Amino acid sequence: MSRFNRAGVAGAAILAVAALVAVVAPLLISADELDVTRVTAAPWQSPGAEFWLGTDHTGRSVAVLVAQGAGTSLFVGLTAAVLAVGIGTLVGVVSGHFGGLVAGALLRITDFFLVLPALVLAIALSTVLPRGLGTIVLAIGLTSWPSTARMVRAQTLTIEARPFVERARALGGGHVHVIGRHVLPSVVPLVLVNATLAVATAIVAESTLAFLGLGDPTRISWGAMLHQAQLHGAVPQRAWWFLLPPGVAIVVVVLAFTLVGRALEAVVTPKR
Amino acid sequence: MLELRNLSVHYGHKRVVGDVNLTLAPGQTLGLAGESGSGKSTVAMSVLRLLPRTARVEGEILLDGDDVRTMSWGRLRAVRWASASIVFQGAMHSLNPVRRVGDQIAEPMRLHGTPGSVRELLEQVELSAQKARAYPHELSGGQRQRVMIAMALACGPRLVIADEPTTALDVVVQAQVLSVLTRLVAEQDLGLLMISHDLSVLAQTCDELAVMHRGELVERGATREVIANPRHPHTAALTAAFPVIGDPAHRWAEQAPQPEPLLRVRDLVVDYGRTRAVDGVDLTVGHGEIVALVGQSGSGKTTLARTIMGLRKPSSGRVIFDGAPVPVKGAALKAFRRQVQLVLQDPASALNPRHTVRDAVAEGLRVHGIRGDEESLVSAAVERAELRPAELYLDSLPHELSGGQQQRVVIAGALVLQPRLLVADEPVASLDASVRGEIVALLLKLRHELGLASLIITHDLGLAWQIADRVAVMHQGKIVEQGSVEQVLLNPTHDYTRALLRAVPQV
Repeated sequence: MSRFNRAGVAGAAILAVAALVAVVAPLLISADELDVTRVTAAPWQSPGAEFWLGTDHTGRSVAVLVAQGAGTSLFVGLTAAVLAVGIGTLVGVVSGHFGGLVAGALLRITDFFLVLPALVLAIALSTVLPRGLGTIVLAIGLTSWPSTARMVRAQTLTIEARPFVERARALGGGHVHVIGRHVLPSVVPLVLVNATLAVATAIVAESTLAFLGLGDPTRISWGAMLHQAQLHGAVPQRAWWFLLPPGVAIVVVVLAFTLVGRALEAVVTPKR
Repeated sequence: MLELRNLSVHYGHKRVVGDVNLTLAPGQTLGLAGESGSGKSTVAMSVLRLLPRTARVEGEILLDGDDVRTMSWGRLRAVRWASASIVFQGAMHSLNPVRRVGDQIAEPMRLHGTPGSVRELLEQVELSAQKARAYPHELSGGQRQRVMIAMALACGPRLVIADEPTTALDVVVQAQVLSVLTRLVAEQDLGLLMISHDLSVLAQTCDELAVMHRGELVERGATREVIANPRHPHTAALTAAFPVIGDPAHRWAEQAPQPEPLLRVRDLVVDYGRTRAVDGVDLTVGHGEIVALVGQSGSGKTTLARTIMGLRKPSSGRVIFDGAPVPVKGAALKAFRRQVQLVLQDPASALNPRHTVRDAVAEGLRVHGIRGDEESLVSAAVERAELRPAELYLDSLPHELSGGQQQRVVIAGALVLQPRLLVADEPVASLDASVRGEIVALLLKLRHELGLASLIITHDLGLAWQIADRVAVMHQGKIVEQGSVEQVLLNPTHDYTRALLRAVPQV
């Protein structure tokens, strides 16, 4: 318990730093530093005093790029997770509460999305839809809600079976009353935990899509950096400084979200 | 054989058991009585060192002269089950749902290398040998409890500890399980330590009785003696709480005049798939009348109550409330539900753990959008349910209240809507003996002051005797006998009613 809390606090601290970087970086970094045509430094410089993390194939500072990429990764991760958890909660509560044909139909749809490889679906969606950040968010959000839906449905069913829900019905409470006063308040803590973990998944998904070249080409993100590094031959150049920082950034932020999620889980799960 | 010397158990700074001294010889049967939280189960678990690690145990627990507290791990494993075994309460949770019961009975024999056959053990508890291949869910509650007894006897222990072995069972099945247990104890000359909150169960099975109260042993003696002449006030309260059928002192209901019918059920049939749960029931509850609906679990009485409440649709037949059929949906059904309120068996689960008393009581007002001063309506209802002063309780969460207080909150939540009929499903079954009487008195007081009619569903004939004007006996979906309490309980005409009455343990 205490071990989890300490890990959770560490995770939260990392997230605070990442969020700070994401907010502050665009204010401090001038457009010149990011513009390929205006940078003056030599390409493929190894880390040194001037460029802490070296430069990329166009001479831009990798450190600046990583800082700039934090915003994109966090934004996509958070919005996609909110979208996924939102859809999942809605589907889960509705199918758990109403049952019958509605639930049957919703569950089949859930199963469909559950068995479909999410990445393949996301790739398909991002090729069909116009390129852009919105598309990425949509692609990730639409593919990662089924597990939340299943979990929320299970929780809804357990709550609905409790006598206090029967009491509420006997008092004359309708669907809105039962869902609003009894089901949602019990589901929300679980959903929050799930959302935190979903952010981690979404960040990885965004990086994957960007790495495959399906991201928003106008924005810098960690996945897009890896894509560029791979495309322009960072490996044959032995330019480890171009590959490692965005990769480590992804790992650290994802780990931080997971730690916070687990710690929250331990808090909301009743102790035995 | 078993000797407890100055046994104390602490959790942190909280003392749950203090200075308990007990002895039990082979062949002796001892009943340990007490309410929830009295420490009786803690005493039982300490005998086989089954308490959680956070418990601090002091004193001596001598099992055949060896102190369980200081035994080596290997010795303790050998002693567990082979010298002393436990029949746990709640057989459904204590049996592994995915393994056949035969394998589970054989498990301790395999671990201890004891010879013996599962077939013989099953026969001892009056189950056929084929049942060894059954899974727990395929057995009834009584059969499961008998499997637990067979399991406890598997390694030929000399001491059996039975922790509330019949609590979840209804009277008829309880009588069967108790008779099996008493017969085996007598035949095999076992020591039996039986734990229960129900004195009448202990009176039927045990020669001696020990009463615990707040972690201390307050009285010990021969069963008859303790029950007839209780010396400690707590024992007296416990014995008084269990009504004796036929004793006018335990009949609290004053005879109501022949009232006008408020609720009429006509030829009601309810099916669950192919099973007919309620089969052509006719029942009447008058204005201000208290009717007890008694029967075993599975007799359909709960389904009947749900249907009356409009929570289930009847397959055929009619429910008429105050001269008009009960509406099936929409605003009319909502209005009907204001008139009829439900009180559930287990108050702890009937209240949302996240809602304060104020929210729980006001829920009905909010659902029906009743205008007016919510605060004063809620306070009035809470005080009506005898939680005084109301301000003391309004902001409490359910887990901060005792079982009896929780049930009062549920009742207050019903009263706030000013209903005319209360449907109470086992309203006192999960409450401690001393609280039980208070809730019964409250229901009677509400009838007296508000003219509130009640339909009380129960398997407890003593409760019916205590509170009801009329009794209806339900068996396999049909009402086999109904009439005034005296008539049905003192001069039963139907065989099933007689069987039920016979099964009631006598103090």
